[in-house]
Amino acid sequence: MPDPKYLEPEIETMSRSDLERLQEERLLELLPTVYERSGLMKKTWDEAGVKPADIRNLDDFHERAPLVCKDDVRQFRDTYGDPFGGLLAVDRSRVSTVFSTSGTTGDATLYAHTWDRWHPFWATLARNLWDIGVRPGDYVLGSGFKTRGQLYHADQMCGAIPLMVDTGIGAWSEAVKAILKYRPVYATLTGLALPELDHLSRTIDLVDVFSSFVGVSFAGEPLSARMRRRLVDWGTETFVWTSAGDVTAAFECREHDGCHAWEDTVLLESVDAEGREAVGNGEIGELVATSLDNLATPLIRFRSDDLIRLTREQCACGRTHARFWPVGRKGDETIVQGLSLVPMDIWSALEEVPETEAAVFQLVRPAREMDELRVRVGYDDTTPTARLDDVRDRVAAAIEARTGVVPEVELFPEPELLSRARGGKLSRVVKA
Amino acid sequence: MTLRSTTLAADSVPRAELWGIGRDHVAGQPADFQISWDDWERDTAWAESMLAEHGVGSGTAVLIIGGMPESPWFDPFETAVLRRGGHYSLGEVFSFEAFRSGMYATRLGVEVVFGINRAVADGLGGELGPALAGVRTIFARPDAVPLLQAAGLTALTVSRLGPGLAVSCPVGDGAHLNAAEWSVEADGEQLMLTTVGPRAHQMTRQHVGVTGQVAVDPCACGRPGARVYLSPDRGV
Repeated sequence: MPDPKYLEPEIETMSRSDLERLQEERLLELLPTVYERSGLMKKTWDEAGVKPADIRNLDDFHERAPLVCKDDVRQFRDTYGDPFGGLLAVDRSRVSTVFSTSGTTGDATLYAHTWDRWHPFWATLARNLWDIGVRPGDYVLGSGFKTRGQLYHADQMCGAIPLMVDTGIGAWSEAVKAILKYRPVYATLTGLALPELDHLSRTIDLVDVFSSFVGVSFAGEPLSARMRRRLVDWGTETFVWTSAGDVTAAFECREHDGCHAWEDTVLLESVDAEGREAVGNGEIGELVATSLDNLATPLIRFRSDDLIRLTREQCACGRTHARFWPVGRKGDETIVQGLSLVPMDIWSALEEVPETEAAVFQLVRPAREMDELRVRVGYDDTTPTARLDDVRDRVAAAIEARTGVVPEVELFPEPELLSRARGGKLSRVVKA
Repeated sequence: MTLRSTTLAADSVPRAELWGIGRDHVAGQPADFQISWDDWERDTAWAESMLAEHGVGSGTAVLIIGGMPESPWFDPFETAVLRRGGHYSLGEVFSFEAFRSGMYATRLGVEVVFGINRAVADGLGGELGPALAGVRTIFARPDAVPLLQAAGLTALTVSRLGPGLAVSCPVGDGAHLNAAEWSVEADGEQLMLTTVGPRAHQMTRQHVGVTGQVAVDPCACGRPGARVYLSPDRGV
């Protein structure tokens, strides 16, 4: 039986110097093989005039290795007809699974893994579930997230029993009954689940429902201040998690002071807008990730477009692996009539209007700079039709107060707008 | 490559007796069932034998379309694909996620699609035929078959039947359940299931809320047990 606090104490708390030595070993072993087999890496590195032999340590890598972005992957895919965008570095016969990015920010891209018993993503997730307190014999509510495979395997790695109960849109009323029957200890929630739970809380005592839980996790998009308060009201301890540059996941620990990325699986960097220099500890930079445990489609210095604050200072939980705080997406800033706004501005405004406080919305943005601000807003579908004009006016006023722009507001019943979600999340910025 | 250290750490954790809890619905009411690790292992062995008959082997790309709550039925087939040396991708059962199934099918040269339902077939619209044109074997929920046929595609059957799964063999005359685990009978048009294997969840001549017919004559494929012909409006 593992340590009560850490699933892998020797890895999770290893010294920074040992961790960096481990990363360097893995990286130097990986680079020649990937250069030889990955069309995208060979093209990118050849164009930059860099060879794997030029990289003798982590400093060389940070200084000389070229960066790639998702558009590079797409362009390679479309130019060469390679479904993996030049990333595949093993024979297809060695591939175990091929999954894809969510596709919420554009055209989904593929990534493959080769593994035997447990997918690497589930394995790293298991460390986090152990930290949260999932233990052998516990029941866990199965997660609907599938873009990285069936996540209940991580529950099973911790000895827990997954409940294969529907937790999708419109299913939480029944899921709550399953919770009361089995009393699970953990569930993964998404931005699609929270509005539904919020509505259910008017008729069901969610404090009782969640009383058996040691924690819930939340992923897929930023957790708004109001929803964080609601989760606290329901007596849950919420662990936010996010993607670490499409390479792996990063999870809050019990200190809730940033999301830990397991650095034995990913080399993290935070770089300036030009991608030239690392930014300082805790400063805002773009997350750049390099796979250290994916032989099938390894990403090498992948620019994620995610803005983060990163620190490698040891966490109070005892773990030494880097933590970061997501700040937003690099491309989310929108200019309307010369004024700058981000989706969180709309989010906060909608939380001020009772009928739209679940903040289900889409900012329609055909271009980064626009003359008009158009927002689709989901309203509580129990709202009488006669009140909708009033709701629209109050929403418009709240958005104007936050952004300085008078918006064009289109109202939809929440379930209708939520049905546009992809990969477990609703795109907050859409082109049309 | 899963980190060896994490695999070893997970191995040191006592495994639960149960692989999971599944949930079926009969007449609109939840009908839960336990699945033991031994149940899952036998289901996976059966899935492996089925996929072998359908030519799944080294390098075969398989697209499995099912929701997370369907994992008690579909997970054995995911694992079986790996044991056969193939690789799998996962599609969702919603029309708004149909694009992902279409994307996998066209980009990866998928040879086997397992579990396409009406919502996904409908969601692909005019792309249904082109997206699946290169697929060698399609296993569909019964209510998706007319849409597939209209797109010029032929399909075998996969459908949940209580805690069991009915899957067509290559002969394609009805669908088999694992006869070592389940016995199926008809009560009029209503199908009843009995466990014959040492499963964690036992049931005897239980109605499973599914209409269809049962054939007890031997299948040309040589598999033992009855076959089922399910109502064409069955969607799961």
